[in-house]
Amino acid sequence: MQTPLLERNNLLANLKELIVRTLRLEDVSPEDIVDAEPLFGEGLGLDSIDALELVVAIEREYQVEIPDAEVGRRAFASVSALGDFILEKSSAQKASDAVG
Amino acid sequence: MRWVETTTTVRFNEVDQWGITWYGHYFAWFELARMKVLEKFSLLPEQFSSLGFIAPVVSAQCEFKKPARTNDIITIQTHLLKPQTASLKFQFEILLQNDGSLLAKGETLQVLQKLDGTVIYKLTGTLKERVESMVQYFWPD
Repeated sequence: MQTPLLERNNLLANLKELIVRTLRLEDVSPEDIVDAEPLFGEGLGLDSIDALELVVAIEREYQVEIPDAEVGRRAFASVSALGDFILEKSSAQKASDAVG
Repeated sequence: MRWVETTTTVRFNEVDQWGITWYGHYFAWFELARMKVLEKFSLLPEQFSSLGFIAPVVSAQCEFKKPARTNDIITIQTHLLKPQTASLKFQFEILLQNDGSLLAKGETLQVLQKLDGTVIYKLTGTLKERVESMVQYFWPD
């Protein structure tokens, strides 16, 4: 079983690949994306149309919903923030499944 | 895949000093045609607002193939692409009615926002139902 730290590191690496693949970024490779760098505006420079595509990909891969840009502001603050958001929502989901 | 047709006549004030339609008017014709579609599904701007949303255009594109001239009767064909995200992408083709020649083609992309400007990533409630019925119309099973 993976340690939580290793699990998180793997998740961040997978998210970077997901971002590059989903948005068909040609000049950026997954390794270029810095964990704490903002995804939108300065930093990676994504826009609201990119966010719409990422939301669909994240829901498909991780079954985690990001309903609007208000929630997205926190989730898309950086790859690191996105990873934490997914871990938080996934564990909440598991807990609710266990109770339900 | 279905298209909706709208017809209009090129007015004198829509052509430039060379006698051909000024390029910006094609976007107004896209708008005219899109409104006809949105009306069918109770998604006109005021109806959007009453549901608590707006749908601003964030991208518009047009290729001009042949000029339209005063009094030409033109047909604007409109189609909705199947949405992959919470957005509306309409495609348009403008044809000269008398010979069916293609004058211009283009598309517009709209995102959906709450009235306070927050972009929504997932459709819910009545808005979702109306958008889904519009998608179903253009993409019958």
